Amino acid sequence: MIRVRDLTKRYGSHLAVDRLTFEIGPGEIVGFLGPNGAGKTTTIRVLTGFHPATGGTAHVAGHDVATDSLEVRRRLGYLPQEVPIYPDLRVAEYLRYRAALKGVPPKARAQAVARAMDKAGIADVARKLVGHVSHGYRQRVGLADALVANPPVLVLDEPTSGLDPNQRRRIKQVVRDLAPEHTVLFSSHILGEVQEVTNRVLVIHRGVLRADGAPAELVGAGARRRLRVAVRGEPQALASALAQAGVAGEVATCDGLAVVDVALPPGHEPVPALAAALAARALPVHELRIELPTLEEWFHGITEASDAAGEAGIAPAGGAGGGA
Amino acid sequence: MTALVATFRKELLSFFVSPVSWVVGILFYWWRGVELRALVDYFARYRIDQELLPPQTYGLGSTFLMVVLVPGLLTMRSFAEERRTGSLETLLTAPIRDGEVIVGKWAAATVFYSLLWLPSVLVLHALEYGPFLGADLAFGPVFAAYLGMFLLSGMLLAFGCFASSLTDNVLLAALLTIMFDYGLLSLPRQLAAQLGELADAYYVRELLDKLDVMRNFSEWFARGLIDTSQVAFYVGGIVFFLCLTGISLAARRIA
Repeated sequence: MIRVRDLTKRYGSHLAVDRLTFEIGPGEIVGFLGPNGAGKTTTIRVLTGFHPATGGTAHVAGHDVATDSLEVRRRLGYLPQEVPIYPDLRVAEYLRYRAALKGVPPKARAQAVARAMDKAGIADVARKLVGHVSHGYRQRVGLADALVANPPVLVLDEPTSGLDPNQRRRIKQVVRDLAPEHTVLFSSHILGEVQEVTNRVLVIHRGVLRADGAPAELVGAGARRRLRVAVRGEPQALASALAQAGVAGEVATCDGLAVVDVALPPGHEPVPALAAALAARALPVHELRIELPTLEEWFHGITEASDAAGEAGIAPAGGAGGGA
Repeated sequence: MTALVATFRKELLSFFVSPVSWVVGILFYWWRGVELRALVDYFARYRIDQELLPPQTYGLGSTFLMVVLVPGLLTMRSFAEERRTGSLETLLTAPIRDGEVIVGKWAAATVFYSLLWLPSVLVLHALEYGPFLGADLAFGPVFAAYLGMFLLSGMLLAFGCFASSLTDNVLLAALLTIMFDYGLLSLPRQLAAQLGELADAYYVRELLDKLDVMRNFSEWFARGLIDTSQVAFYVGGIVFFLCLTGISLAARRIA
């Protein structure tokens, strides 16, 4: 539904997006992650036809954003980061105007507006002036605007920014409910939120795609997993069980328990072998678990690593994972 | 076309709910009323041919207000405000051509401007009745004069849209338009005076004549004469400034 190939965007000498490539299939909800200034909004503005790309191509619903921008915009609902709405129009009036602008036939407009207001949960402020509703409601009016023509593709740029927890929860639920009818690109820098809503994330940093895949897979495949084992028994017995399972680590004692806490190399799955070795030694297991880094730690890791590589003059690595 | 009509309707509505529009309308009609009353008294006192009254109204100070100040006030928000608040992004990412946005905004401003003028025709019509002048005024020249005013204002409003597209500062946009409007009214005559003999050269004279809006108005439209070359000049000006607005918007997208 969205296909981006070698997309590049320069503002003068500043390279905002550097040969970005990804694909999003129909019905997918994809998180677009990156720190502030990473190039998320620039990419989105190219996809929505607001800015032209400097290089590469982008297709939305089969139409080229550069040569067929109008057709792209007919199939795309866009919620910008800051929702700028005309304050002197009533909410329903504004949505009727936007529906007309988006080519919704006159007879279907009332129904389209009612449906969009219902989905965004703003029916109770339909007759209020847009300038008089709270920031949270205004954000939801923006979401209703993106939904009003029922486009197959939705691009939501930080839709929950500045909202209170209840409002964020509501928006996330709305976004989750959009699949599988709609393809959604959901930009955010709040990682937990993306994890809750999407089944795939694209991570962009300094204009370059750093990772692409399911959050759990990306985090699980990271190099920061830790194995933590605590048994009641002799430290030597635990050390020998660890050695049998191929885990190198120093055993300590704590409150009468033999304890080990080691980092695991990527791809190493020692738990079955270790469990068997511990059982063979009849060691009572107090704790045996693998700790995954949080999405936040993982995100920090890959963006910091690329910054460090950049400072050291090393070319950044390509995207990790491969969910495309 | 639907998108153009939607833009036009929304913009026209925004004029009706804007306090600036109401202040302009009230100020114009208060001032015009005062001036018109003085003019009618003058005609009555000196027993001047009342047929000459309508052309005299075009030279009133309130007309100057409408031509020089109002186009800038009406168009200052058209793009500058959208750019300032960020709503231009929402507008230009909707399935609407830049040209439809520009024409929709310009047409709404022109219609609202024409509506501001409309009651002044009704006032002239009311003067025909007994308690006032009781005169049979010729409305042919009035029609031609209002057509001229419509064309001129169309061009000034098109420039206003262009000026508004250049900045996100509404006051600067208004100021640019007011300066242009004043320049268009005064510069050709001043230029002709400064150029001396050079102003008598055929092409220079033709150019200055075409640009001399005041002269065109008093010698043609106010006398009930419609010259197609004048009409073409104003229509050309409208198209020219609307195209410049389109280029300005396209340039902002690329920047």
